[in-house]
Amino acid sequence: MPQAAVRLEDLSKTFGATKALAGAGLTLRPGTVHALLGGNGSGKSTAIKILAGAYVADAGTIEIGERRWDAPSYDAREGFAAGLRFVHQDLGLFDELTVAENFALDHGWPRGRGGRIRWGALRSRVAQLLERYEVEATPDMIVAKLRPAQRTMLAIARAVQDHDGADRVLILDEPTAALPLHESEILLRAVRRRADLGQTVLIVSHRMQEVLSVSDDFTVFRDGRTVANLVDASPTEDELIAHMTGAVVTAHEAAPASREATTEPVLEVRGLVGGPLTGVDLTVRAGEIVGIAGLVGSGRTSLLKTVFGEHRPAEGTISIAGRAASARDGVGRRMAEGVAYLPEDRLGEAALNELSVRENLSASVLRSFWRGGRMAHRAERDAAEGLVGTYKVKTTSVDAVFASLSGGNQQKVVLARWLRRNPRLLLLDEPTQGVDIMSRRDIYASIRQAAAAGCAVVVASSDFVELCELCDRVAVLAKGAVTTSVEGEALTVDRLTALTQSSAPLERAS
Amino acid sequence: MEQTLAAAPAQAAPKKKRDLRFKDLAERNALLALLIAIVVFFSVWPQSSAVFFTTENFSVLLGNQAVVALLALAAILPLVSNYFDFSLGSIAAASTVLQAGLMSRHDVPLWLAALLGILLGAAIGGVNGLLVTRFRLSAFVTTLGMATLLGGVIQWYTGGQTIVNGISDGLIDFGSSTWLGLPRVVYVVILFAIVLWYLLVHTPYGRTLYAIGANPRSAKLLGIPADRNVHLSFVLAGLIAGVVGVLQLARSGSATADTGTSILFPALAAAFLGATAVRPGFFNVVGTMIGVLLVSVSVSGLTLAGASAWVSPVFNGAALLIAVGLSTYLGRHRGVAAK
Repeated sequence: MPQAAVRLEDLSKTFGATKALAGAGLTLRPGTVHALLGGNGSGKSTAIKILAGAYVADAGTIEIGERRWDAPSYDAREGFAAGLRFVHQDLGLFDELTVAENFALDHGWPRGRGGRIRWGALRSRVAQLLERYEVEATPDMIVAKLRPAQRTMLAIARAVQDHDGADRVLILDEPTAALPLHESEILLRAVRRRADLGQTVLIVSHRMQEVLSVSDDFTVFRDGRTVANLVDASPTEDELIAHMTGAVVTAHEAAPASREATTEPVLEVRGLVGGPLTGVDLTVRAGEIVGIAGLVGSGRTSLLKTVFGEHRPAEGTISIAGRAASARDGVGRRMAEGVAYLPEDRLGEAALNELSVRENLSASVLRSFWRGGRMAHRAERDAAEGLVGTYKVKTTSVDAVFASLSGGNQQKVVLARWLRRNPRLLLLDEPTQGVDIMSRRDIYASIRQAAAAGCAVVVASSDFVELCELCDRVAVLAKGAVTTSVEGEALTVDRLTALTQSSAPLERAS
Repeated sequence: MEQTLAAAPAQAAPKKKRDLRFKDLAERNALLALLIAIVVFFSVWPQSSAVFFTTENFSVLLGNQAVVALLALAAILPLVSNYFDFSLGSIAAASTVLQAGLMSRHDVPLWLAALLGILLGAAIGGVNGLLVTRFRLSAFVTTLGMATLLGGVIQWYTGGQTIVNGISDGLIDFGSSTWLGLPRVVYVVILFAIVLWYLLVHTPYGRTLYAIGANPRSAKLLGIPADRNVHLSFVLAGLIAGVVGVLQLARSGSATADTGTSILFPALAAAFLGATAVRPGFFNVVGTMIGVLLVSVSVSGLTLAGASAWVSPVFNGAALLIAVGLSTYLGRHRGVAAK
């Protein structure tokens, strides 16, 4: 057996009464891309955090290259010296600074006489690295202006620098979670090329199809244990999910039969212009789930935010339930008309992080608990407990701090907060981003139930599998306008990929 | 064998939950327990026991602290939404000076002078709120600038002199008399404490302030008019600071050219102390009142025991440092638990 780049054995870690890891193992072969999979609470984050030094393991051994530690005495600095390099979901880039400054802050400034910074040397070195890692950027660009995939590649280049041999192990923690499909494909292709050059890579990801396309080996954690270790394999998505859930569950339920679109339209958008939108036409009827597919920059989020009254349109009309909306209407007006909006950025735009689950649930309906000159605290609590049950939120109590919930349960809370208003039109932006597969199924069920009750649903997502599974019909958005729409048999991942990717060259040809 | 192993954590879970609940209870009531401990200590300590635990002493103590207590209540309104207001002490001082000036120089009746003083406070709060919400200036800088500006205006208006003549006897009488053994001004503080507690705990408006404090973006996307509500919190804080000005004039019977910072700092100390109790991590009315009492009781006890004049500011300063430290620690603690 060849020397492993990284080997974890019998790793255990307990938090209070919870066993996060119960003897998990993981072996990375040098020069391969290895996928670490598992649902929320499977222990994969804990394992990564132990390697990064954020937690100390209770027991087990850690081996990196030639070196070997008893896990409790492992030190992240020694791991770094042995070649571990981390790129977390939060890339740790300084957005306001330039690319070159980001490199220098991590790796030191080349100094000249009198301690001055040799900017020229820094730029040329960074330019070389950018070229090698295929980052489409120049050293003087401000990081905030880079495209998402390029930012991730930049973080990778910064982490590994020029030591890209097999003695460096690159650990990518949810690298694509915040990226739209197109961007993550670019990123993964680049990662694959690094691996072909001998780089060892460990990828932690929720996006099954992506890791399938890029990985050589697979390790699946469940309940803190390693339940599958597939070397040089090409498993199917359903096989991996079966390992993750411990049951045979298929990811893709057949989409419900396309419903007769004879009900009255709830949302009618005509010629909508504003921001990246260049003239969107869209009709959504009661009980319909309509997807919005499109690349980053196509205007998915802008469309939803404009309909919700958060952005003001420059031109065009929006009618909700037959009533033409004024361009000056705000969010409050839309909510009164029965519109709900679940933002893409849960932490930044939906969470009330330090407040309790109950307060997060009530935030959308505060006035309804204002009875007889006081807040009806008992009724509020009862209602919150009911919602936690209905939407299968796992929490110790409704008084638990929102931030203490896992990503999937947080998402259930922010969705429940809107569904309790019985919205007429539900706008969802990346509803299952960073959500584990079990919570995802619960969320889909809640969305379907709302639609069955007559709510019109719009789902913007970069996850085409999600769109195919959930939607009756998907509108393809490109360059700020709906180019086409697919439904029924034609609604497949490949078709959506083709439609979103092809629009640019097609237009150039015509 | 394996089954017994598996059963162990299941049994441990309820115990763990009980521990957590106990910790939570301890955290909520730590400040109150400390207050009681201090009262008991000074009541039995031979050096202070003779005078400390007497109605007269508590009456003086509460009367003297009424001004700080009310200012602390004003301060927590913007603080709940994460906005600092440094100008509240100066607003109170400006209100005091305006009332004294109106009464002594223009023979304005008491009710009108008090009303104008309070309205001045609300107006300045309105300007603060406008600058912070409409023009997106940092609240820290805005209110610091406003405090400095008001300090200068006070100097100009008084010419650096204390206004002593012509102040309504009725007001001075109100400031120095008691009702049911407590100074009358204390009832004003209690009234405002109840109103603010009601506002923050029992109205949708108060709940939105906490939501804005947690995440202003989320609040806006939930249809909460964040700017308007924050603006109103500055106006209300200014208005209460205006009332503080009335109490101040009633207690001292004169208006000095003081800029009000001397009462602002103890008030902020109390507000931050309060954020470590009752609802830890959040500014709240009951906690703030406990904070005020804690600082004042300790200082009173130490003074009675013969400690020098420097002890009071040292104690106030230390209390503020410890309070902010604890607040931050608790906040961070939550953040870590979150991940």
